[in-house]
Amino acid sequence: MTDSRIDYYAVKKHAHDHGDHDHSHDDHAPVAGEDEGPPSEFAIMSRAMQEILEAKGVITAEQVTRRMEQFEEDFPYRGSRVVARAWTDPEFRKRLLDDGKAACTEMGVDLEADRLIAVENTPEVHNMIVCTLCSCYPRALLGMPPTWYKSRSYRSRVVFEPRAVLKEFGTELPDNVTVRVHDSNADMRYVVIPMRPQGTEGWSEDQLADILTRDTLVGVTVPRVRT
Amino acid sequence: MTMAGAKAKLEAPNGVDEMAEKHPNRGPQDIGGRKAGPVDVVDHGMKFWERQANALRSTLSGKGIVKRDELRRAAEDLRDYSKLQYFEITTSALRTLMIEKGYMTEQELKAKMDEVRARFDVPDEMESPLKQKAAQP
Amino acid sequence: MSAAGGETGSAQSRPSTYTPAPGHRYEVGDAVRVKRRYPPGHRRTPHYIRGKVGTVERICGAFPNPEELAYGFDGEPKKVLYRVRFVQKEVWPRYRGPARDLIEMEIFEHWLEPAGDTGGRT
Repeated sequence: MTDSRIDYYAVKKHAHDHGDHDHSHDDHAPVAGEDEGPPSEFAIMSRAMQEILEAKGVITAEQVTRRMEQFEEDFPYRGSRVVARAWTDPEFRKRLLDDGKAACTEMGVDLEADRLIAVENTPEVHNMIVCTLCSCYPRALLGMPPTWYKSRSYRSRVVFEPRAVLKEFGTELPDNVTVRVHDSNADMRYVVIPMRPQGTEGWSEDQLADILTRDTLVGVTVPRVRT
Repeated sequence: MTMAGAKAKLEAPNGVDEMAEKHPNRGPQDIGGRKAGPVDVVDHGMKFWERQANALRSTLSGKGIVKRDELRRAAEDLRDYSKLQYFEITTSALRTLMIEKGYMTEQELKAKMDEVRARFDVPDEMESPLKQKAAQP
Repeated sequence: MSAAGGETGSAQSRPSTYTPAPGHRYEVGDAVRVKRRYPPGHRRTPHYIRGKVGTVERICGAFPNPEELAYGFDGEPKKVLYRVRFVQKEVWPRYRGPARDLIEMEIFEHWLEPAGDTGGRT
Protein backbone atom coordinates (compact mmCIF):
# COMPACT_ATOMS: atom_id res chain seq x y z
CA MET A 1 0.00 0.00 0.00
CA THR A 2 1.46 3.33 -0.90
CA ASP A 3 0.41 6.47 0.85
CA SER A 4 1.36 9.27 -1.49
CA ARG A 5 2.40 11.30 1.49
CA ILE A 6 5.19 8.88 2.36
CA ASP A 7 6.03 7.58 -1.10
CA TYR A 8 7.14 10.54 -3.11
CA TYR A 9 7.88 8.43 -6.11
CA ALA A 10 4.27 7.25 -6.33
CA VAL A 11 3.14 10.88 -6.48
CA LYS A 12 5.67 11.79 -9.12
CA LYS A 13 4.89 8.78 -11.27
CA HIS A 14 1.19 9.62 -11.45
CA ALA A 15 1.72 13.37 -11.64
CA HIS A 16 -0.78 14.14 -8.90
CA ASP A 17 -1.12 17.78 -8.11
CA HIS A 18 -1.30 19.03 -4.56
CA GLY A 19 -5.04 18.89 -4.21
CA ASP A 20 -5.38 15.28 -5.24
CA HIS A 21 -3.98 13.30 -2.41
CA ASP A 22 -5.75 12.85 0.85
CA HIS A 23 -3.83 13.50 4.03
CA SER A 24 -5.99 11.26 6.17
CA HIS A 25 -4.47 8.19 7.72
CA ASP A 26 -7.35 5.95 6.67
CA ASP A 27 -5.86 5.29 3.25
CA HIS A 28 -3.48 2.75 4.58
CA ALA A 29 -5.28 1.23 7.56
CA PRO A 30 -4.51 -2.47 7.63
CA VAL A 31 -6.97 -4.40 5.52
CA ALA A 32 -7.06 -8.12 6.07
CA GLY A 33 -8.34 -8.72 2.59
CA GLU A 34 -5.47 -6.98 0.86
CA ASP A 35 -3.44 -10.17 0.77
CA GLU A 36 -3.90 -12.41 -2.19
CA GLY A 37 -4.00 -16.18 -2.15
CA PRO A 38 -3.23 -18.63 0.63
CA PRO A 39 -0.66 -17.81 3.29
CA SER A 40 2.93 -18.73 2.55
CA GLU A 41 4.86 -21.17 4.71
CA PHE A 42 6.64 -18.20 6.26
CA ALA A 43 3.38 -16.47 7.13
CA ILE A 44 2.28 -19.70 8.76
CA MET A 45 5.62 -20.02 10.56
CA SER A 46 5.45 -16.50 11.89
CA ARG A 47 1.89 -16.95 13.09
CA ALA A 48 2.75 -20.27 14.69
CA MET A 49 5.72 -18.81 16.57
CA GLN A 50 3.63 -15.93 17.78
CA GLU A 51 0.94 -18.27 19.12
CA ILE A 52 3.47 -20.53 20.83
CA LEU A 53 5.04 -17.55 22.56
CA GLU A 54 1.65 -16.15 23.55
CA ALA A 55 0.64 -19.50 25.00
CA LYS A 56 3.84 -19.58 27.03
CA GLY A 57 3.25 -16.07 28.34
CA VAL A 58 6.38 -14.66 26.74
CA ILE A 59 4.37 -12.04 24.84
CA THR A 60 0.73 -11.07 24.54
CA ALA A 61 -1.33 -10.56 21.41
CA GLU A 62 -2.03 -7.01 22.57
CA GLN A 63 1.66 -6.20 22.67
CA VAL A 64 2.14 -7.32 19.09
CA THR A 65 -0.98 -5.49 17.92
CA ARG A 66 0.07 -2.34 19.71
CA ARG A 67 3.46 -2.53 18.05
CA MET A 68 1.85 -2.94 14.64
CA GLU A 69 -0.21 0.16 15.31
CA GLN A 70 2.86 2.16 16.27
CA PHE A 71 4.61 1.18 13.07
CA GLU A 72 1.54 2.11 11.03
CA GLU A 73 0.12 5.15 12.71
CA ASP A 74 2.94 6.79 14.59
CA PHE A 75 6.47 6.17 13.35
CA PRO A 76 6.04 7.10 9.68
CA TYR A 77 4.96 10.65 10.48
CA ARG A 78 7.68 11.69 12.84
CA GLY A 79 10.62 12.30 10.52
CA SER A 80 8.88 14.92 8.40
CA ARG A 81 7.87 16.87 11.50
CA VAL A 82 11.36 16.83 12.95
CA VAL A 83 13.02 17.96 9.74
CA ALA A 84 10.32 20.58 9.10
CA ARG A 85 11.18 22.02 12.51
CA ALA A 86 14.85 22.10 11.49
CA TRP A 87 13.89 24.04 8.38
CA THR A 88 12.08 26.72 10.36
CA ASP A 89 14.24 26.90 13.50
CA PRO A 90 18.01 27.33 12.92
CA GLU A 91 18.85 26.67 16.56
CA PHE A 92 16.89 23.43 16.50
CA ARG A 93 18.69 22.48 13.29
CA LYS A 94 22.02 22.89 15.06
CA ARG A 95 20.85 20.74 17.93
CA LEU A 96 19.58 18.11 15.52
CA LEU A 97 22.93 18.02 13.73
CA ASP A 98 24.79 17.89 17.00
CA ASP A 99 22.78 15.15 18.72
CA GLY A 100 19.94 13.71 16.67
CA LYS A 101 18.39 11.64 19.42
CA ALA A 102 18.29 14.47 21.97
CA ALA A 103 16.71 16.82 19.44
CA CYS A 104 14.01 14.25 18.68
CA THR A 105 13.38 13.77 22.38
CA GLU A 106 12.83 17.53 22.61
CA MET A 107 9.95 17.13 20.18
CA GLY A 108 8.49 14.20 22.07
CA VAL A 109 9.81 11.71 19.52
CA ASP A 110 11.23 8.67 21.28
CA LEU A 111 13.74 6.87 19.08
CA GLU A 112 13.89 3.91 21.51
CA ALA A 113 17.15 2.02 20.99
CA ASP A 114 18.26 3.97 17.93
CA ARG A 115 20.90 6.66 17.87
CA LEU A 116 20.54 9.27 15.15
CA ILE A 117 22.90 11.24 12.98
CA ALA A 118 21.28 13.92 10.84
CA VAL A 119 23.21 14.86 7.71
CA GLU A 120 22.42 18.05 5.87
CA ASN A 121 22.22 18.64 2.16
CA THR A 122 23.85 21.84 0.90
CA PRO A 123 24.37 23.27 -2.57
CA GLU A 124 27.69 21.39 -2.54
CA VAL A 125 26.70 18.10 -0.91
CA HIS A 126 23.92 15.56 -1.39
CA ASN A 127 23.56 12.80 1.21
CA MET A 128 22.21 9.32 0.60
CA ILE A 129 21.54 6.50 3.09
CA VAL A 130 21.87 2.74 2.69
CA CYS A 131 22.57 -0.32 4.79
CA THR A 132 24.42 -2.82 2.64
CA LEU A 133 24.60 -5.57 5.27
CA CYS A 134 20.92 -5.81 6.21
CA SER A 135 18.52 -2.85 6.03
CA CYS A 136 19.21 -0.74 9.07
CA TYR A 137 16.93 2.24 8.98
CA PRO A 138 15.69 4.75 11.59
CA ARG A 139 12.39 2.91 12.01
CA ALA A 140 11.25 4.81 15.06
CA LEU A 141 11.64 8.03 13.06
CA LEU A 142 10.50 7.04 9.58
CA GLY A 143 8.49 3.83 10.03
CA MET A 144 9.34 0.71 8.10
CA PRO A 145 11.72 1.01 5.15
CA PRO A 146 10.29 0.81 1.63
CA THR A 147 10.78 -2.37 -0.36
CA TRP A 148 13.39 -0.74 -2.58
CA TYR A 149 15.57 0.13 0.41
CA LYS A 150 15.66 -3.55 1.43
CA SER A 151 16.28 -4.80 -2.12
CA ARG A 152 19.52 -6.41 -3.20
CA SER A 153 19.87 -3.90 -6.02
CA TYR A 154 19.72 -0.86 -3.77
CA ARG A 155 21.92 -2.35 -1.08
CA SER A 156 24.65 -3.44 -3.47
CA ARG A 157 24.65 -0.58 -5.98
CA VAL A 158 24.24 2.60 -3.93
CA VAL A 159 27.74 2.31 -2.48
CA PHE A 160 29.28 1.65 -5.88
CA GLU A 161 27.20 3.76 -8.27
CA PRO A 162 25.02 6.16 -6.26
CA ARG A 163 24.46 8.56 -9.13
CA ALA A 164 23.11 5.81 -11.39
CA VAL A 165 20.70 4.73 -8.64
CA LEU A 166 19.64 8.33 -8.02
CA LYS A 167 18.86 8.62 -11.71
CA GLU A 168 16.52 5.63 -11.42
CA PHE A 169 14.62 7.64 -8.82
CA GLY A 170 14.50 10.63 -11.16
CA THR A 171 17.20 12.55 -9.32
CA GLU A 172 20.18 13.93 -11.22
CA LEU A 173 22.96 15.92 -9.65
CA PRO A 174 25.70 17.86 -11.43
CA ASP A 175 29.29 16.75 -11.02
CA ASN A 176 30.11 19.77 -8.90
CA VAL A 177 27.86 18.43 -6.15
CA THR A 178 29.46 15.83 -3.87
CA VAL A 179 27.38 12.70 -3.40
CA ARG A 180 28.05 11.46 0.11
CA VAL A 181 26.82 7.93 0.77
CA HIS A 182 26.32 6.67 4.32
CA ASP A 183 26.42 2.92 4.83
CA SER A 184 24.71 2.60 8.21
CA ASN A 185 26.46 -0.58 9.20
CA ALA A 186 26.73 -0.28 12.99
CA ASP A 187 24.99 1.54 15.80
CA MET A 188 24.07 4.84 14.17
CA ARG A 189 20.97 5.57 12.13
CA TYR A 190 20.68 8.38 9.64
CA VAL A 191 18.26 10.96 8.36
CA VAL A 192 18.86 13.49 5.61
CA ILE A 193 17.99 17.15 6.11
CA PRO A 194 17.19 18.15 2.52
CA MET A 195 17.65 21.66 1.21
CA ARG A 196 14.53 23.73 1.55
CA PRO A 197 13.26 24.56 -1.93
CA GLN A 198 12.39 28.00 -3.25
CA GLY A 199 8.73 28.89 -3.08
CA THR A 200 8.22 27.71 0.50
CA GLU A 201 8.76 31.04 2.19
CA GLY A 202 6.28 31.62 4.98
CA TRP A 203 5.00 28.03 4.93
CA SER A 204 3.79 26.43 8.15
CA GLU A 205 5.60 23.41 9.58
CA ASP A 206 2.68 21.24 8.45
CA GLN A 207 3.03 22.44 4.88
CA LEU A 208 6.76 21.88 4.99
CA ALA A 209 6.35 18.39 6.50
CA ASP A 210 4.05 17.59 3.60
CA ILE A 211 6.86 17.92 1.04
CA LEU A 212 9.41 16.21 3.29
CA THR A 213 8.44 12.77 2.07
CA ARG A 214 10.18 9.63 3.24
CA ASP A 215 12.11 9.40 0.01
CA THR A 216 13.63 12.85 0.55
CA LEU A 217 14.70 11.90 4.08
CA VAL A 218 16.59 8.85 2.80
CA GLY A 219 18.16 10.94 0.07
CA VAL A 220 16.87 9.36 -3.14
CA THR A 221 14.82 12.39 -4.12
CA VAL A 222 14.69 16.08 -3.23
CA PRO A 223 11.62 17.92 -1.98
CA ARG A 224 9.56 19.62 -4.64
CA VAL A 225 6.98 22.35 -4.42
CA ARG A 226 4.00 20.97 -6.29
CA THR A 227 2.20 23.62 -8.34
CA MET B 1 50.05 9.32 -4.06
CA THR B 2 50.78 8.87 -0.38
CA MET B 3 52.81 6.07 1.13
CA ALA B 4 49.61 4.51 2.39
CA GLY B 5 48.06 4.70 -1.05
CA ALA B 6 51.11 3.14 -2.68
CA LYS B 7 51.18 0.30 -0.21
CA ALA B 8 47.49 -0.40 -0.74
CA LYS B 9 48.03 -0.57 -4.48
CA LEU B 10 50.87 -3.07 -4.12
CA GLU B 11 48.65 -5.34 -2.07
CA ALA B 12 45.97 -5.27 -4.72
CA PRO B 13 47.84 -4.87 -8.00
CA ASN B 14 44.72 -4.82 -10.15
CA GLY B 15 43.11 -2.18 -8.00
CA VAL B 16 40.29 -4.59 -7.33
CA ASP B 17 40.78 -6.37 -4.03
CA GLU B 18 40.23 -9.91 -5.24
CA MET B 19 40.64 -11.31 -1.81
CA ALA B 20 37.65 -9.29 -0.60
CA GLU B 21 35.65 -10.02 -3.73
CA LYS B 22 35.78 -13.78 -3.51
CA HIS B 23 36.71 -14.60 0.06
CA PRO B 24 35.08 -17.78 1.39
CA ASN B 25 34.26 -16.01 4.65
CA ARG B 26 32.29 -13.29 2.89
CA GLY B 27 28.74 -13.83 4.05
CA PRO B 28 25.70 -13.75 1.74
CA GLN B 29 24.61 -10.47 3.31
CA ASP B 30 27.85 -8.69 2.47
CA ILE B 31 26.74 -7.44 -0.92
CA GLY B 32 28.00 -3.86 -1.09
CA GLY B 33 29.53 -3.42 -4.53
CA ARG B 34 28.10 -6.57 -6.05
CA LYS B 35 26.59 -6.24 -9.51
CA ALA B 36 22.80 -6.04 -9.56
CA GLY B 37 19.98 -4.94 -11.81
CA PRO B 38 17.92 -1.77 -11.73
CA VAL B 39 16.17 -0.80 -8.52
CA ASP B 40 12.40 -1.29 -8.49
CA VAL B 41 11.73 2.20 -7.21
CA VAL B 42 8.10 1.64 -6.31
CA ASP B 43 7.40 0.90 -2.65
CA HIS B 44 5.30 -2.24 -2.62
CA GLY B 45 4.51 -1.89 1.05
CA MET B 46 4.00 -4.74 3.46
CA LYS B 47 1.43 -7.51 3.56
CA PHE B 48 -0.54 -8.01 6.75
CA TRP B 49 1.51 -11.06 7.80
CA GLU B 50 4.72 -9.11 7.24
CA ARG B 51 3.54 -6.27 9.44
CA GLN B 52 2.62 -8.75 12.12
CA ALA B 53 5.93 -10.60 11.72
CA ASN B 54 7.75 -7.31 12.05
CA ALA B 55 5.76 -6.44 15.16
CA LEU B 56 6.55 -9.87 16.62
CA ARG B 57 10.26 -9.39 16.00
CA SER B 58 10.15 -5.87 17.42
CA THR B 59 8.22 -6.96 20.53
CA LEU B 60 10.72 -9.72 21.26
CA SER B 61 13.63 -7.41 20.62
CA GLY B 62 12.14 -4.70 22.83
CA LYS B 63 11.89 -7.19 25.70
CA GLY B 64 15.52 -8.21 25.24
CA ILE B 65 14.53 -11.76 24.36
CA VAL B 66 16.43 -11.50 21.09
CA LYS B 67 19.11 -8.95 20.29
CA ARG B 68 19.34 -7.21 16.94
CA ASP B 69 22.84 -8.58 16.54
CA GLU B 70 21.62 -12.12 17.16
CA LEU B 71 18.89 -11.69 14.57
CA ARG B 72 21.43 -10.48 12.06
CA ARG B 73 23.79 -13.36 12.79
CA ALA B 74 21.00 -15.91 12.53
CA ALA B 75 19.92 -14.34 9.22
CA GLU B 76 23.44 -14.41 7.83
CA ASP B 77 23.79 -18.07 8.75
CA LEU B 78 20.69 -19.09 6.80
CA ARG B 79 21.60 -21.45 4.03
CA ASP B 80 18.92 -19.98 1.77
CA TYR B 81 19.58 -16.31 2.59
CA SER B 82 20.12 -15.33 -1.04
CA LYS B 83 16.86 -16.91 -2.14
CA LEU B 84 14.58 -15.50 0.56
CA GLN B 85 12.60 -12.29 0.76
CA TYR B 86 13.18 -9.84 3.57
CA PHE B 87 10.46 -11.02 5.98
CA GLU B 88 11.11 -14.64 5.14
CA ILE B 89 14.64 -14.01 6.36
CA THR B 90 13.39 -12.27 9.51
CA THR B 91 11.00 -15.11 10.28
CA SER B 92 13.60 -17.80 9.63
CA ALA B 93 16.13 -16.02 11.81
CA LEU B 94 13.60 -15.71 14.59
CA ARG B 95 12.89 -19.41 14.28
CA THR B 96 16.60 -20.18 14.68
CA LEU B 97 16.83 -18.07 17.81
CA MET B 98 13.64 -19.28 19.44
CA ILE B 99 14.89 -22.84 19.16
CA GLU B 100 18.45 -21.90 20.11
CA LYS B 101 17.25 -20.14 23.24
CA GLY B 102 14.85 -22.90 24.20
CA TYR B 103 11.59 -21.01 23.73
CA MET B 104 10.31 -23.79 21.53
CA THR B 105 11.42 -27.01 19.91
CA GLU B 106 11.34 -27.93 16.24
CA GLN B 107 8.58 -30.40 17.02
CA GLU B 108 6.45 -27.82 18.78
CA LEU B 109 6.82 -25.44 15.88
CA LYS B 110 5.95 -28.09 13.33
CA ALA B 111 2.85 -29.10 15.27
CA LYS B 112 1.69 -25.53 15.63
CA MET B 113 2.35 -24.81 11.98
CA ASP B 114 0.22 -27.83 11.03
CA GLU B 115 -2.55 -26.47 13.22
CA VAL B 116 -2.32 -22.95 11.76
CA ARG B 117 -2.14 -24.26 8.21
CA ALA B 118 -5.25 -26.36 8.77
CA ARG B 119 -7.27 -23.29 9.76
CA PHE B 120 -6.98 -21.83 6.33
CA ASP B 121 -8.54 -24.93 4.84
CA VAL B 122 -11.71 -24.72 6.97
CA PRO B 123 -14.44 -23.17 4.80
CA ASP B 124 -16.31 -21.21 7.43
CA GLU B 125 -13.33 -20.25 9.58
CA MET B 126 -13.95 -16.67 10.68
CA GLU B 127 -10.27 -16.09 11.05
CA SER B 128 -9.51 -16.50 7.40
CA PRO B 129 -9.73 -13.16 5.62
CA LEU B 130 -7.41 -14.63 3.04
CA LYS B 131 -9.91 -17.34 2.22
CA GLN B 132 -12.73 -14.80 2.06
CA LYS B 133 -10.77 -12.58 -0.25
CA ALA B 134 -9.82 -15.48 -2.47
CA ALA B 135 -13.49 -16.40 -2.70
CA GLN B 136 -14.48 -12.95 -3.95
CA PRO B 137 -15.08 -12.64 -7.70
CA MET C 1 42.69 17.04 -1.65
CA SER C 2 40.21 18.91 0.41
CA ALA C 3 37.19 16.80 -0.45
CA ALA C 4 37.26 15.27 2.99
CA GLY C 5 37.34 18.69 4.62
CA GLY C 6 34.76 21.00 6.07
CA GLU C 7 32.32 21.27 3.18
CA THR C 8 30.34 18.30 4.39
CA GLY C 9 28.97 19.91 7.51
CA SER C 10 29.61 19.35 11.17
CA ALA C 11 32.18 16.84 12.35
CA GLN C 12 32.53 16.09 16.02
CA SER C 13 35.91 15.90 17.64
CA ARG C 14 34.59 15.13 21.07
CA PRO C 15 33.08 11.79 21.90
CA SER C 16 29.42 11.43 21.14
CA THR C 17 26.97 12.52 23.78
CA TYR C 18 25.55 9.02 23.63
CA THR C 19 28.31 7.12 25.37
CA PRO C 20 31.75 8.25 26.46
CA ALA C 21 34.84 6.87 24.72
CA PRO C 22 37.69 7.14 27.17
CA GLY C 23 41.04 5.96 25.91
CA HIS C 24 40.11 6.24 22.26
CA ARG C 25 43.03 5.65 19.96
CA TYR C 26 42.24 7.85 16.95
CA GLU C 27 41.27 11.48 16.63
CA VAL C 28 39.15 13.26 14.07
CA GLY C 29 41.24 13.79 10.95
CA ASP C 30 43.52 10.80 11.50
CA ALA C 31 44.25 8.69 8.43
CA VAL C 32 43.27 5.09 9.19
CA ARG C 33 43.25 1.86 7.26
CA VAL C 34 40.56 -0.77 7.68
CA LYS C 35 42.31 -4.04 8.49
CA ARG C 36 42.59 -6.40 5.61
CA ARG C 37 41.43 -9.44 7.51
CA TYR C 38 38.68 -11.91 6.69
CA PRO C 39 37.67 -13.79 9.82
CA PRO C 40 34.51 -15.90 9.73
CA GLY C 41 31.45 -15.04 11.75
CA HIS C 42 29.32 -11.97 12.27
CA ARG C 43 31.19 -8.77 11.38
CA ARG C 44 29.86 -5.31 10.72
CA THR C 45 32.79 -4.26 8.55
CA PRO C 46 31.75 -4.77 4.91
CA HIS C 47 34.20 -6.64 2.72
CA TYR C 48 34.32 -3.84 0.17
CA ILE C 49 35.97 -1.47 2.65
CA ARG C 50 38.58 -3.82 4.07
CA GLY C 51 42.09 -2.67 3.33
CA LYS C 52 40.93 0.81 2.36
CA VAL C 53 42.31 4.03 3.77
CA GLY C 54 40.06 6.79 5.08
CA THR C 55 39.87 9.67 7.52
CA VAL C 56 38.18 9.69 10.91
CA GLU C 57 35.16 11.95 10.55
CA ARG C 58 33.88 11.63 14.13
CA ILE C 59 34.08 9.53 17.24
CA CYS C 60 30.66 8.01 17.84
CA GLY C 61 31.33 6.73 21.32
CA ALA C 62 31.86 3.31 22.86
CA PHE C 63 29.42 0.45 22.26
CA PRO C 64 29.19 -3.23 23.13
CA ASN C 65 30.93 -5.31 20.49
CA PRO C 66 28.33 -6.57 17.99
CA GLU C 67 30.61 -9.50 17.13
CA GLU C 68 30.05 -10.78 20.65
CA LEU C 69 26.42 -9.69 21.07
CA ALA C 70 25.58 -11.74 17.99
CA TYR C 71 26.43 -14.93 19.86
CA GLY C 72 24.65 -14.09 23.09
CA PHE C 73 27.51 -12.53 25.00
CA ASP C 74 27.25 -9.09 26.55
CA GLY C 75 29.77 -7.46 24.23
CA GLU C 76 31.77 -5.97 27.10
CA PRO C 77 34.16 -4.28 27.33
CA LYS C 78 32.75 -1.71 24.94
CA LYS C 79 34.67 -0.86 21.80
CA VAL C 80 35.14 2.62 20.39
CA LEU C 81 33.19 3.27 17.21
CA TYR C 82 34.33 5.78 14.60
CA ARG C 83 32.78 7.23 11.50
CA VAL C 84 35.35 7.00 8.75
CA ARG C 85 35.21 8.91 5.49
CA PHE C 86 36.52 7.44 2.27
CA VAL C 87 36.94 8.85 -1.22
CA GLN C 88 34.87 6.75 -3.62
CA LYS C 89 37.57 6.62 -6.26
CA GLU C 90 39.92 5.13 -3.69
CA VAL C 91 37.40 2.46 -2.75
CA TRP C 92 36.29 1.45 -6.25
CA PRO C 93 38.90 1.46 -8.99
CA ARG C 94 36.19 1.81 -11.62
CA TYR C 95 34.11 4.45 -9.82
CA ARG C 96 32.43 6.52 -12.51
CA GLY C 97 31.36 9.56 -10.53
CA PRO C 98 33.46 12.63 -9.82
CA ALA C 99 36.56 12.52 -7.64
CA ARG C 100 34.78 14.52 -4.94
CA ASP C 101 32.25 11.76 -4.12
CA LEU C 102 32.51 10.21 -0.67
CA ILE C 103 31.37 7.17 1.25
CA GLU C 104 31.22 7.04 5.03
CA MET C 105 30.52 4.33 7.54
CA GLU C 106 31.07 3.29 11.10
CA ILE C 107 34.10 1.16 11.89
CA PHE C 108 35.06 -0.22 15.28
CA GLU C 109 38.49 0.60 16.63
CA HIS C 110 39.71 -2.98 16.54
CA TRP C 111 39.15 -2.98 12.78
CA LEU C 112 41.39 0.04 12.24
CA GLU C 113 45.11 0.59 12.11
CA PRO C 114 47.09 3.77 11.42
CA ALA C 115 47.42 4.42 7.70
CA GLY C 116 51.10 5.11 8.21
CA ASP C 117 51.58 8.46 6.55
CA THR C 118 52.16 11.66 8.50
CA GLY C 119 51.07 14.46 6.23
CA GLY C 120 47.43 13.71 5.48
CA ARG C 121 46.17 12.44 2.17
CA THR C 122 46.42 14.10 -1.23
